[in-house]
Parts: sequence; C-alpha cells; structure tokens
Amino acid sequence: MGTSFLSWDNVSAYFMFADKPLVLILFTIVVGFICISLIMSIKQHEDKAFQRHANNQKMTPN
Amino acid sequence: MSTETPTLESLSALVQSQQAVLDMHQSMNMEVFYWWCTALMLMIHAGFLAYEMGASRGKNALAAGIKNILALAMIIPVFYLVGWWIYLSFTTGLIPTSVSEALPWSTSMGPKLDEMGTGIFWAAFALFGATTGSILSGAVIERIRVSAFLILTVLVGGVVWILGASWGWHPEGWLLTEWGYHDVGASGVVHAIAGFFTLGVLINLGPRKGKFIKGIAQTIAPHSLPMTLIGLMMIIFGFFGFLGGCIIFNTGETGWTTIYNTPTNLSAFAFNTLMGFSGGIIGCYFATRDPFWTMSGGLVGIISVAAGLDIYDPALAFIVASVTGVGAVKFAQLLERYGIDDAVGAVAVHGFSGIAALLFVGIFSNGTPNAEGLPAITFAGQLVAALVMIALGFIPGYSVSLLLKKLNTLRVPESVEDLGIDEVELLAKPYPEANVPATIQSEVPNKLANI
Repeated sequence: MGTSFLSWDNVSAYFMFADKPLVLILFTIVVGFICISLIMSIKQHEDKAFQRHANNQKMTPN
Repeated sequence: MSTETPTLESLSALVQSQQAVLDMHQSMNMEVFYWWCTALMLMIHAGFLAYEMGASRGKNALAAGIKNILALAMIIPVFYLVGWWIYLSFTTGLIPTSVSEALPWSTSMGPKLDEMGTGIFWAAFALFGATTGSILSGAVIERIRVSAFLILTVLVGGVVWILGASWGWHPEGWLLTEWGYHDVGASGVVHAIAGFFTLGVLINLGPRKGKFIKGIAQTIAPHSLPMTLIGLMMIIFGFFGFLGGCIIFNTGETGWTTIYNTPTNLSAFAFNTLMGFSGGIIGCYFATRDPFWTMSGGLVGIISVAAGLDIYDPALAFIVASVTGVGAVKFAQLLERYGIDDAVGAVAVHGFSGIAALLFVGIFSNGTPNAEGLPAITFAGQLVAALVMIALGFIPGYSVSLLLKKLNTLRVPESVEDLGIDEVELLAKPYPEANVPATIQSEVPNKLANI
C-alpha cells in the first residue's frame, strides 16, 4: 500500500509514501506528538514518584 | 583483443564513462567520510554518559545517565522536524526564507536516488545538535527534573544552536556576509551558545543542596572520578568525528574547504587539534593540579582553537589553548564565587573557551580574507559575533528555565534530592551490591592451585 513506484526506472525519491505529501505530513505530526507525549509522560511519572515518596515519608515514624 | 582503431567518438565516450565512474565514487566517498564522522560523534555521547554518571554521587548516577540517553533520543527527531529547516531558512536573521525542501515532509528529507549528501549532512548536524544539548546535561545533574531538562535540551540542541549556525556557520549567514565571522570548528555556534544557555539555566536552577555552606563553595565529590576521566577522553576521541564533520568534502576539483568555502585540509585540522588538546591539558593542570580539570583541559584546548583550526600555526594553537586552560579554571572559580553550581564546569569549558576562541581568532587573524566578495576576518567582527552567541544562548536558557521554575517544574523536591533521584524516580540502584562486604576468601575455586 505504501510504495510510491513500481519500477526502478527514472525513480528519484523511493521511500514509502513519497508520492503522498499528506501522508508524509501526517507522519511528521505523529513524530511531533510522540516527542511531546514523552515529556508529558515523564512529568506525570515524576509527579507520581515524588508524591509516593512524600506519602512514604509521612508514614515513616520519626 | 580488439584490433579496432579508436576513433575520436569512441575515446570521448570512454572518457565520459570514466568521468561518470569518478563522479559517483567521489559522491560515495563524501558520504562515507561523513558517515564515519557521525559514527565517531556518537562516542561523544558515550563519553558524556560516562562522565556525567561518574560526576554524580552514587544516589543520582542512573538519573544522570537516563537523562543523557533521552536527550540524544529526543534531539534527533526534533532536529529532523525543525532543525534542518531552521539552518537553511534563517540565514538573514529572525525572518525565515522559504526552503521547502528542508521541511520534514519534503521528498528531499528521505531516501532519494539522485540526491547524495542531504541525509548524511543532516545526520552530522543532528549529532552536532545532540552534542550541544549534552553540554547542558552535565552541569545540571542531581537536582533537575528530567522532564524540564528534556524541554531545555531540545530547545538548545534542536533549535537555538542551529539558529546560531544559520547566522554564523552557513555560507550565506549574516554574521559571515556582514561581519566576516570565522568559526570553522563551531567554538561559537556550538560551545559558546551551549555554555551560556547552561549559565542561564543554572541561575534559575540553583546549586545542589550542600554545595554552598554560608556562601562558601564545598566540594561534592564525584562517585567515580575514574569514570569521569575515561568519559572525558571518550568525548575527545569523538571530537575527531565532530571536527571532521566541520570540514567540507567537495566533489569535483575543489578538494577540502571550510564551511565558509575557503581552502583548507585535514592536515591543518590535525596539527591544531592535537596541539590545542595538549595545550589545554597543560594549562588546566598548571591552574588546578586536579585530575578532573586536567582531563577537561583537553576539551578546553580543542574548543579554544576550534574556531581557527584552519589558519593557526600549531605552536600558536598550543599557546592559545594553554592560556585558555588557565582562564577557564579562573572563570569557573569566578562562577562559584557568585553562587553558581556548575557540577562539571560546562560554562567555563564550553562557554568561556568558545568565546575565547572567537576573540583569539579576531586578535591573531585580523585581516585574513574570506571567500571572494565577503568581508575579511576582523577583531570587531569576532567580538560582535561573540556577543551574539552569548545572547543567543543565555536569553532562551534563562527565560525558559525561569518559566519552568515559576511553574514549579524545574527542580526535584528537596526530600528527593536528599534520598537520591534514582531511588525515588527510577526505583533502581546503580550498584545494588555496593554494601556487600568483600569476602576474604573467594567462593570461586582457584583452578591454578590444583594444577
């Protein structure tokens, strides 16, 4: 489904979907989304870990 | 064996076919050269990984490592998304010119049979960006949140430095065309920008807990000094790929040129890189007698001569590097006096040395011609560019880290800093058996004793 050519004659850009700019733009958006979601996911993980640590400290007798 | 007499037409066809073979091999050699430069640059990141983990205390060693790995993984796609486009589009300043072939959905930004070079140049530049981002990494260890660090490292490694490169490290960049800027080995566009970006972040991040007691700087010892020394040497090894990637492998009759299209060759780079390396080590050793700074001196030395690698006399490169080595240590001491905790001396090693490199080129190479039609190298031009690099690094570093600080997302909580980020966030220990006492007698049988 992704191939942009059926023969190697006169081929220039030969990667999948090279002839479908909208698909390439969609891929670009997905890459950006993954990068942003990684940072958001790390922040969430940090918030949870720090909260868990704070709770543990409260429960630990002095 | 053919007995046909060659005709002018047959000889012409033969020459053309041989020329086509030669052209193809030149293009392939160019790709091979940058391929291995890029591979060597990955050694810089192996080095950063080792020396940042070593420079951390044991309780934060893995946190230092994981943020370094994630920085590399994030800067590469971000550089694919925007970096290459910024480099080619912002040569005149802050208003982009349209360079549609550098956009990530362009067919030029992918496998293409009739376009050798784009991908391999993009890769080398992506690794330059990753190096820039990693310079920030070491300075902020043991107290920055990984999420905040990633935002900052992507900003400097994927956006800010490449804007500086577009201005000063591009044959049409305005710093070159208007001021004759000379920075062949990226002392300014990589090191100075990263160093002063880091300074901006450190001001808002604050020092590690316990670094300053009653205003007096304390030593927070690295948990593995040997690992930091080996890491630094790995960075220096990788810099041969970095500096190789700074030189232009031209096809045709031109041969090697700088990124400014002036003639040079790898011999010039070899002379001055090695002499700078040695001079920097000696300068830092004179100033400190400290193992970490002595090894950092190699990096200081290379950075201090990188801007003029093509035009220095090797002995002059050695002197420049030695002097900068001493200066970098003094600059680091000055920062400490102002309450700045730079855990690995990144601002001094990269920021100070990068700026010194630009100014030394202005002092010693004043009047040296650039490519035809461009202004010559001058001290004034180098000074203006140095100020631009400082501002370009510092302003976004300070502004964005200030915003993160206001949102309370820049630094880990104090109690987490006390216990260590590894245990709280990563739920892992770098040396889980560290507290197991060594046994006097090994349980492993001694095979040699039974022979």
